[in-house]
Amino acid sequence: MRDPRVENLAELIAGYSLDLREGQVYRIDGEEHSAPLAVALYRAALRRGAHPYTRISPSGLDELALEHASDEQLEHIPELELMASEQLDAWTSLWGTVNTRALTRADPERRRRQLSTHYRMVNRRWERISAGELAWCGTLYPSQAHAQDAEMSLADYEDFVHGACHTREGDDPIAHWQGVSETLTARAQELEGVRELRIVGPKTDLRLIVEGRRWLPSDGKHNMPDGEVFTSPVETGTSGEIYFAFPSVFQGQEVENVRLRFEDGHVVHAEATSGEEYLRALLDTDSGARVLGEVAFGLNYEIDRFTRDILFDEKIGGTMHVALGGGFDEAGTENKSDLHWDLICDLRQEGEVYADGELVWKAGSFVAEPAVARA
Amino acid sequence: MLDARHAKLAEVIVGYSVEIGEGDRVLLESVGQASPLLRELYGATLRAGGHPEALIALDEAEEALLREGNDAQLEWIAPDLRWKVEEGDVWVVIDAPVNTKRLTNVDPARMGRRLKAREPIQNRYLERSASGEFRWVICGYPTQASAQDAGMSLRQFEDVLYRAAFLDQDDPVAAWTTFGDRLERVGSFLEGVREIRIVGDETDIKLGVEGRQWIRAKGLRNFPDGEVFTGPEETSVEGTIKFTFPAMMRGRQADGVRLRFEGGEVVEATADRGQDFLREMVGLDDGSKRVGEFAFGMNDAITEYTGNLLLDEKIGGTIHMALGRSVPGTGGLNKSGLHWDIVCDLRDGGEVYADGELVYRDGAFLNGAS
Repeated sequence: MRDPRVENLAELIAGYSLDLREGQVYRIDGEEHSAPLAVALYRAALRRGAHPYTRISPSGLDELALEHASDEQLEHIPELELMASEQLDAWTSLWGTVNTRALTRADPERRRRQLSTHYRMVNRRWERISAGELAWCGTLYPSQAHAQDAEMSLADYEDFVHGACHTREGDDPIAHWQGVSETLTARAQELEGVRELRIVGPKTDLRLIVEGRRWLPSDGKHNMPDGEVFTSPVETGTSGEIYFAFPSVFQGQEVENVRLRFEDGHVVHAEATSGEEYLRALLDTDSGARVLGEVAFGLNYEIDRFTRDILFDEKIGGTMHVALGGGFDEAGTENKSDLHWDLICDLRQEGEVYADGELVWKAGSFVAEPAVARA
Repeated sequence: MLDARHAKLAEVIVGYSVEIGEGDRVLLESVGQASPLLRELYGATLRAGGHPEALIALDEAEEALLREGNDAQLEWIAPDLRWKVEEGDVWVVIDAPVNTKRLTNVDPARMGRRLKAREPIQNRYLERSASGEFRWVICGYPTQASAQDAGMSLRQFEDVLYRAAFLDQDDPVAAWTTFGDRLERVGSFLEGVREIRIVGDETDIKLGVEGRQWIRAKGLRNFPDGEVFTGPEETSVEGTIKFTFPAMMRGRQADGVRLRFEGGEVVEATADRGQDFLREMVGLDDGSKRVGEFAFGMNDAITEYTGNLLLDEKIGGTIHMALGRSVPGTGGLNKSGLHWDIVCDLRDGGEVYADGELVYRDGAFLNGAS
């Protein structure tokens, strides 16, 4: 039986996120367990007159490649992928797998090599997304593995996912996300007048300079669910301390209770109660890895808990996150790094944020509606 | 469940059927549920130095297209498919049906439109295959659906399939090589023949094969395999034939098919069941009225009908004909969107005459050719 929530999600992505049109060539990528959503997307694309095709893989291929491939094979980019990056009009990535820790014990050097091949493909994709030539949206089809990471049953996790996407039975997802888009756009415009942000919370007092940077709304076009506004802060402007109460996950490995101290934009002290060695290794990735590439407000209040998946966690309503490493060209960044590691700071109980000295955020939400939306 | 035969099968496919080597760009595709074998093939391809991609075709997406797609969508060729036939080195297709009747109620005209649009793609890959630029193999895989069609349990069907693939033998590649020698002898004998006549139950039909090549199908393009086939002279087929086994095509079937040929074309087509479907397929285009392939099934490890064409057309002691497109390399010239194999059992009283001489009776060659 078809799950009406999956049909809603497919309609939302095809109709709102990608705005698929007649004759457009559209590819749907995912692992085998995501097939129900892939089929729903395929049908939604047919209804819009597009030319969909699927690229569904068995799980476990990365592990096999790490075990059997030569270095040269690990670095090979299939021509079909290059062609897709150059030619597609629209693309959906269905994330999600059947075991989120399958690669935890893989050789880190070989895994790095494999990932860097992957990022070479993704970077080309982003060039065309930024140029407006390619519509792309990433989402997740719930699996037992992700439910387990979120410490829920699969049924509860499905409810959580569809709540976050506003794709429950009877929801009007497109109307909802159009509303979100207006609000976030107004909020981003308002933040563009700000020179300095100060974040105050548990073990946290951090100042960031954002003057001259562009704030961007994440309104469900590239991720589903979505719901944040973000920018890339000025590279030399970050100072003070920040504490991350949620575990910080990168490539399936966790670091707990991370504390960072910044001076002149750079991390000068880092500690964690577990995974500290991994934290230091990530900070040493390259020279840009100690600098923030992103600061963002999480504004999706349907996401009310930590689930160990960055697609959801960075949008938890009432949190902020910063990313160590590479920033966003559209925001005006100058920071380059192979790392982009989002760390989430929970401000829902005691947090306060000041914009140029004025209190704008308290206990997990902005104190006022965005001025532009009020007008 | 891990089946040790998956690993063995993958080694035979990679090392023998398509001989994957350094730098080969390899597409591994499963139609249906065959992820365990896809993973084995992926690992084996990497070890052989190839660049594999493993994909699962979604039955439900194809069904949606055939039911709901507009004409432009039905006729559209995906870039992956185009690349594969124009540029790919190796293509391994695993046939692992989840439900063999899933397309039974699809409008045959819409199916025909899609088949027709894909004809140039079919021709292109057969061309590149004949010239040796492109190696491909269709590989069987046991599923509940195919076991159900065969009227047996999955475990029983696994044994049937793997026995047919010689995977029950210690060295399957050696077994295929020896078997290939036998097919070679039959093929070289047939290449001296001008006319084949088949006589059997309600069957008396002649085909001209002079100057045509007989392909020894020894596990390179189909797996399991075991036939010797050619493309008969296009205007030569005369007489009538009754096919013993149902004629199947994408979940539809016609039982008790009888065809009468004049001047190489079907002039009368009847079936005990599924006659409309039979006539739809025969009438698809100009070439679908002609015989594009004629073959002897030679695999004696396949003894019973299972409703699975990959196996049935190779049953030792049968012959089959395909209406429609002939296969490059045979000398056959027939063009069509269709290639529809239908099998006739000769094990019980069937006879074959080569240029008037009895050379085959009750399902076996008499002259020592095999």
